[in-house]
Amino acid sequence: MNYIKNKKNTLISILCIFLLIFIWVIYTNVYKQLPMFRDKTITIGVFSDSYWEVQNGYSYRILEDAIAIFEKEHPKIQVEYVSGILKKDYSEWLVEQLLSDNAPDIFFILAEDFNDIAEIGALKDLTPLIAEDNTFQKNRFYSSAYQCGQYHGIQYSLPYECAPKLMFVNQTILNNEELSISNEDWTWQEFYNICQKATKDTNGDGVIDQFGTVGYTWEEAFDSNGIKLFNQEGTKCYLTDDNIEPALIFIEQLEKLNEGYNISSNDFDLGNVVFQPMLFSEYRAYKPYPLSIKKYSSFEWDCIPMPAGPSGENISTLNTLLIAMNANTRNTEYAWDFMKVLTCNTQIQSEIFEYSEGVSVLKEVTESDKTLQSLMGSSENNLNLQILSDAVENAVIAPRFRNYDEAIAEVNRAVHSIIEENTNISMGQIIWNRTINKKLNYK
Amino acid sequence: MEETQSASYVLVIMKNLNLVIILYIATLITYSLSGYIQESSALDFLENIYSMPIVAWKIPILSIGLYCSCMLLLYIQNKSSWGLFLKVCVELAISFCISYVIGFSYIGIVLLVLADTVRYFPKSEWKWKFFLVIFICMLYLLIDYNLLLLYFKITPLETYLEYFQSDVRSILLGIKNMLNSLNMLIFIVYIILLMHIQLSEKERILSLNEELNTLNEELRQANIQLEKYAKEAEQASKNKERNRLAMEIHDALGHALTGIITGIEACATLMDIAPEATKEQLKAIAEVARQGMTDVRRSIKALRPDALEKMDLDKALIQMIDEMRCATNAEILYQCKTELNCFNEEEENTIYRIIQEAITNSIRHGKAKQIQIDIDRKYNMLEVCIRDNGIGCINIQEGFGLYHMEERLKRLQGSLKYYGEKGFVVEAQVPIRLGYGGNNND
Repeated sequence: MNYIKNKKNTLISILCIFLLIFIWVIYTNVYKQLPMFRDKTITIGVFSDSYWEVQNGYSYRILEDAIAIFEKEHPKIQVEYVSGILKKDYSEWLVEQLLSDNAPDIFFILAEDFNDIAEIGALKDLTPLIAEDNTFQKNRFYSSAYQCGQYHGIQYSLPYECAPKLMFVNQTILNNEELSISNEDWTWQEFYNICQKATKDTNGDGVIDQFGTVGYTWEEAFDSNGIKLFNQEGTKCYLTDDNIEPALIFIEQLEKLNEGYNISSNDFDLGNVVFQPMLFSEYRAYKPYPLSIKKYSSFEWDCIPMPAGPSGENISTLNTLLIAMNANTRNTEYAWDFMKVLTCNTQIQSEIFEYSEGVSVLKEVTESDKTLQSLMGSSENNLNLQILSDAVENAVIAPRFRNYDEAIAEVNRAVHSIIEENTNISMGQIIWNRTINKKLNYK
Repeated sequence: MEETQSASYVLVIMKNLNLVIILYIATLITYSLSGYIQESSALDFLENIYSMPIVAWKIPILSIGLYCSCMLLLYIQNKSSWGLFLKVCVELAISFCISYVIGFSYIGIVLLVLADTVRYFPKSEWKWKFFLVIFICMLYLLIDYNLLLLYFKITPLETYLEYFQSDVRSILLGIKNMLNSLNMLIFIVYIILLMHIQLSEKERILSLNEELNTLNEELRQANIQLEKYAKEAEQASKNKERNRLAMEIHDALGHALTGIITGIEACATLMDIAPEATKEQLKAIAEVARQGMTDVRRSIKALRPDALEKMDLDKALIQMIDEMRCATNAEILYQCKTELNCFNEEEENTIYRIIQEAITNSIRHGKAKQIQIDIDRKYNMLEVCIRDNGIGCINIQEGFGLYHMEERLKRLQGSLKYYGEKGFVVEAQVPIRLGYGGNNND
């Protein structure tokens, strides 16, 4: 009797163990390692239009070239991508693919989606791959661009192309007003002085029609005054920082110059504004494009670094397009190789200057003569590549945490409210800091 | 018995209910997850989650698969303490996994595990069982979504359900909560049933105990009775022994004393008339007295056949016969065709005494020169035959000796025959009791 019972128990246990193994196999996707599920294809997630919102007609050109290089190195591996996904649909498409476990092995990832996707653990931690790969040298990248691929200190992605924010200057107005900028290390004071002098009524109708700056917001002021707004985890806001008050006062003063006129970037296009901060990609997009030449034909213009605040440097933010690997990829090795082709191959990276509007994330490529030639191509303006390179290298890296955009929106409200209410600035800082901290910790 | 049956029915109901709940939640999650994807609102969903959700189609498979394995484990009967502990641990681990798969929105399976575990407790001697219960209860209390969020990145059921409109969401959540409460109710019913079983079991044991006490008392009475019987039996055997002694005294002394008394009375009459004759008479009396003395000695000896106490019947007989041969110069032939080790003490005594008495009679009364003793077995009777070549006796007067022999044999359901025409023949039959000694010579 006992024997039969023992036998029955053993049978049930064995059945149970088999069932658990089956569940484990399903859960961990181990079954996909089976020969019948394995394939020699790596898939890429990519959008068809430019990251920089410009139609340039070269949508998949760089990717195709990269595939050609990769397939030459790995003849047995095929690279596939789904074409025709627009950038505006790309985030949704990517998340859907991730949720249904169909995501490509490698995918481009938009800066605004990176935090959310990294947070849920859908991206592969690249640290071990980087550590094992001798051919990969991270110091070839701009450190800022490289850091953009990190989330909570872990390298989840590599930068593909980037664009720093630069100050566009209308040289025509400066020349007309006999103003000049001393050098690249210019300061807020100089910036304010020029704006003050340039803001005037030129045709004498009693209405101001020439302005100092458009689009220079508290964000640029904070970045260039050495202000760190949040901690890395996004649990604390430092709105009471000592450097914030001068920045707020500076913004307030700049706004006062316009005497209540609401200026838009269209005013800059018309040649009525001296300064406008712009992404380098916008500069490039406007430059070779036939329409944009017409757009800026009425004035001479140039781009220089941002003015430095009393406690900061001539720096600004960096916009980066990242490439990440699917955490569940079955072809880690080949996917990594392809990622390297896209990000570390000088030929591919230099194509960015030809077929895209961003800046290569490799120092050697951005600083090369070939790049200078391709950038200078049709333009008479002198572009100092060193300015560009420094702007990328020294760019401010925003902390990476979830709901970063909401936190920034909150700070935006705070800044506007503090400036508009005309009350005690430091009191406003303390009150708003508390409010924002509460919201940050609620999440 | 009936209650045990209903408790196990309740357990079955609980198992089915848990399956329904898990299936319900898994379906909800799968449905809303695929809904998000189909309706292109995955980005909204992404903003609310903390980890990659399990792929929609896997959730029902995983949860039901895990539940089935848990049920299989519940089916295993295990009574050893450590086996039980291990089983419970694995069951709890699986319950935790199921909970994990469905976003820690349901933990009632732990109650099911607890219900299944306490079923073993009445029979188990294990000391730590209450710690196990406390452990399971702690787990039940601690598996809470908000608490676990500190350690696990999980997406709660509510986030999935945000796919639905608020009124539908309320209904769906309401159904889930209702099922959860139902599960708890059933658990409580189960525990009450178990307690009831336990109580009636105790009552049963109590009544059995009472019965045992009564029987014990009866047994004590019987014991006292038995002691009384034993005393009576002892008295009876004493009486018997006294009787026997009386018989022996009569045998040995009665005759001699009678002769002496008669002789002395005659002497008293004769003394003055014929002193010579009186002298002769006194000599004869002395002879009788001497004979009596000898008889007494013999009787005393016969009372204590220590030969029998020291050795078995066969050897004792041979020794006794040898002694007789030496004392009397008579030729005694002894032949035994069977083994004599299948008799109890009384039977052995009887056989010994019959042979001894017969030899004594032959020598004393028959003046025999040759005595033949044959012992044989016929079916279940031991036949002892003593014949002599003495003077015999035509008219046998049964004296105390023969009577005594007959008496002893009667007590053993045996029989005695004797003939005096040609010498004297004594034939005794002693039944051999079956199963005693276990010897079989046939």
